[in-house]
Amino acid sequence: MEAYLVAIAIVGAIYVLLTLGLTVQYGLTGLVNFGHVGFFAIGAYASALLSLEGVPLVASFACAALAAALAAWPIGLVALRLRDDYFAVVTLGFSETVRLVITSERWLTNGVQGVPGIPRSFAGLGVGMAGSLATLAAIALVCLAVALALRRIARSPFGRVIEAIRDNEDALRALGKDPARFKMQVLALGAALAGVAGAFYAHYITYVSPDQFIPLVTFYVWMAMIMGGVGRVSGAVVGALLLMLFLEGTRFLRDVAPDLISAVDMASVRIGAVGLALILFTLYRPQGLVGDYTRR
Amino acid sequence: MSLVVRDVTKSFGGFRALDAVSFAMDGAAMLGIIGPNGAGKSTLFSVVSGFMAADRGTVALDGRPLDRLGAAARARAGMVRTFQVPREFHHLTVRENLMAAAPGQSGEGLLGLFLRPGRVRAEEEAIGAEADATIAFLRLTAVAGTPAGRLSGGQKKLLELGRALMAKPRLILLDEPFAGVNPVLVAELGERIAALNARGIGFLVIEHDLAALSRLVPRVLVMDRGRVLAEGPPGEVLRDPAVREAYLGGAAA
Amino acid sequence: MFGALLVAGIVHGLIIGLAAMAVTLVFGIARFPNAAAGDTMTAGAYAGFLAHRATGSLALAGGAAVVAAGAVSLLGYLLVFRPLARRPVASLLVAAIGVAFLIRAVLGLMFGHQQQVFQVPLAWPIEVMGLRIPPMDITLAAVAGVSLAAAFGVLYLTSIGRQMRAVADDPDLARVSGIRPVRVMVALWLLAGAAAGIAGLMLGVKTVVSPEMGWEGLLSAFAAAILGGIGSPVGAVLAGLLLGVAQEVSTPYVGFTYKIALAFAVMLAVLLLRPRGLLGRVEEVR
Repeated sequence: MEAYLVAIAIVGAIYVLLTLGLTVQYGLTGLVNFGHVGFFAIGAYASALLSLEGVPLVASFACAALAAALAAWPIGLVALRLRDDYFAVVTLGFSETVRLVITSERWLTNGVQGVPGIPRSFAGLGVGMAGSLATLAAIALVCLAVALALRRIARSPFGRVIEAIRDNEDALRALGKDPARFKMQVLALGAALAGVAGAFYAHYITYVSPDQFIPLVTFYVWMAMIMGGVGRVSGAVVGALLLMLFLEGTRFLRDVAPDLISAVDMASVRIGAVGLALILFTLYRPQGLVGDYTRR
Repeated sequence: MSLVVRDVTKSFGGFRALDAVSFAMDGAAMLGIIGPNGAGKSTLFSVVSGFMAADRGTVALDGRPLDRLGAAARARAGMVRTFQVPREFHHLTVRENLMAAAPGQSGEGLLGLFLRPGRVRAEEEAIGAEADATIAFLRLTAVAGTPAGRLSGGQKKLLELGRALMAKPRLILLDEPFAGVNPVLVAELGERIAALNARGIGFLVIEHDLAALSRLVPRVLVMDRGRVLAEGPPGEVLRDPAVREAYLGGAAA
Repeated sequence: MFGALLVAGIVHGLIIGLAAMAVTLVFGIARFPNAAAGDTMTAGAYAGFLAHRATGSLALAGGAAVVAAGAVSLLGYLLVFRPLARRPVASLLVAAIGVAFLIRAVLGLMFGHQQQVFQVPLAWPIEVMGLRIPPMDITLAAVAGVSLAAAFGVLYLTSIGRQMRAVADDPDLARVSGIRPVRVMVALWLLAGAAAGIAGLMLGVKTVVSPEMGWEGLLSAFAAAILGGIGSPVGAVLAGLLLGVAQEVSTPYVGFTYKIALAFAVMLAVLLLRPRGLLGRVEEVR
């Protein structure tokens, strides 16, 4: 039971990190990133492949963040000067393309078979509880540090500018500031966070394959962010917890009553529930379950 | 300060919104732009401020051609515009709106924010003080902490002017500064603008309220159907029969 | 070899073109890229599949696809997109993803996840000018041709179609000129749904019918809509054909999986070099 709780806590914390990344991008700046999972995948594969080549985990984590941020750069270059809706389409296409590249470039990624045997984080502590707890502590610390940093950013001159971007981009340009420059930093920052989340994921699960990085993951994160309250750092944590409750709840339901519903039907139910949640929250509670929509 | 606009032409599909518009402003001047709806006044602002690309023609500020610069770069070059419909940052307070406009803040870079916290704090204090002074100058002190989205139309006009001032321009393009402003405030706003002009800031002003405009600016430019019809002191220009024909439709007084 | 790929590309391109037409009409008029367009295709494909299995008639299958996808599309508008019309575009984008997932989930629960195949009679290819063309390709091309003719008939010959195009050209102008937006919007979503339905049916006949098929085709449809120029149905069809042929012809060189990545590359190139696409209206870069 403890092992189970630690396991979902780790996955939950990974979702917290992903949600924090999206919160900077959409919640604070208004960037509609529909390709979050692409940056998550790049981070996971970058760290996994580097560590398998013998690179120490600290360095491979840093490379994961860097690789994801670098991948964001051309996307931002093309799409940030266009309207929001184009950005959404481009990022969605980006994440699908990342998955295609991972699937196709077998020499690097082993294709659909995936990459097994990725070094476990804190392997020195053994495969039991100690290693898992250390992993949990590490990712919880990272989440805390990121949350504090984001709060500082939100209340800084930089935060003022990105909120101004969300309110009225043209007015900002009229004052001599280039929204694209700020958006690029925000995009790269959110991507780097997703990259680090990917590294944690890869070294916790110890196996990565393309089917772990489907667009549905992006929208799990969107659901978490919207449920928790868009634009609030604390909302990211609340939302990710609610998301874990949903994911584990649906799995639990299937475990206790396997005759009730088949595995494929459960997959459909999950997708449907995510879809319905996105629709209903957008329609009736855009401020989230607990959020205050008017102020950050 | 000098602004030289030469032969600026802009078409939308087949419709010629600006047809070889030329004019110049010298010194710390104030120039009004008047004309009927659809004359091309707002399009002229958009082209001059870099929000739209001209099909032809040049815009130069202090002898420096601006044609290759985008809107943000033109603002940094010293020319800031406001909008006909105010575009306040509605989630930010009035004070934050003004502070956001200050140029060259090291706290606007993610690196500077974390590497030089002391410097960022000192800058914030200085910018905050400057914003407070501007707010007091515009008599907005009572609403300094109010989210800008909740201001009245007239207050938003003042806010836009204040924000433009914070960007430290040499020339401000005002698009209908008096629209939606109550008459008492119009006189006051006129005084503020005149005071700023006395400090050396040039103003290019689109305005429908001819009485208020005539009190404010020494010269006006009359536009009609994308062309410059006349230029001169307001009283003189408004007596010009061609202007009366175009602007007043020949009907009234 | 090249000829065969060209033929395959044209049929594939017609599918993309129809889907892109659904995307571009909504993008141009309702002003957001509708991510549910792909799953609307899937709904059409399933309806067509059932009708075809029951009757064996491809024409009836087409009718069923049009009705089902049109209904799904209209429901999406009435229940979700219309109430959101005055919200920021991000709300519409997120809700569209929600609608897409919901459609896919419902279809998955109703019909299962196993791939379904249209039972069409095998026939020898017909030789036309040295090209060996499968008769089904000719049939599908004809279906697409009739559908496109009908769609352009509605757009260019009827009053509601002219109003739609007017709204696409200038939403503000249309508002002041007495066009009744709700009627135009209902017609728009029905037409977009019908086009997506036919695209879904054709895709189902050419490949397989599965709950994921439409979502997988979405990126190509978006790419073609952007390449053609947002709001331009003619551009969408032309761009769909170009993209379809390019995807088929390049398959021997880049491999099967990169077909979709090609759509992404085209999208990026267009947005970088010519954001208004081939036939898009001039829109000021703000």
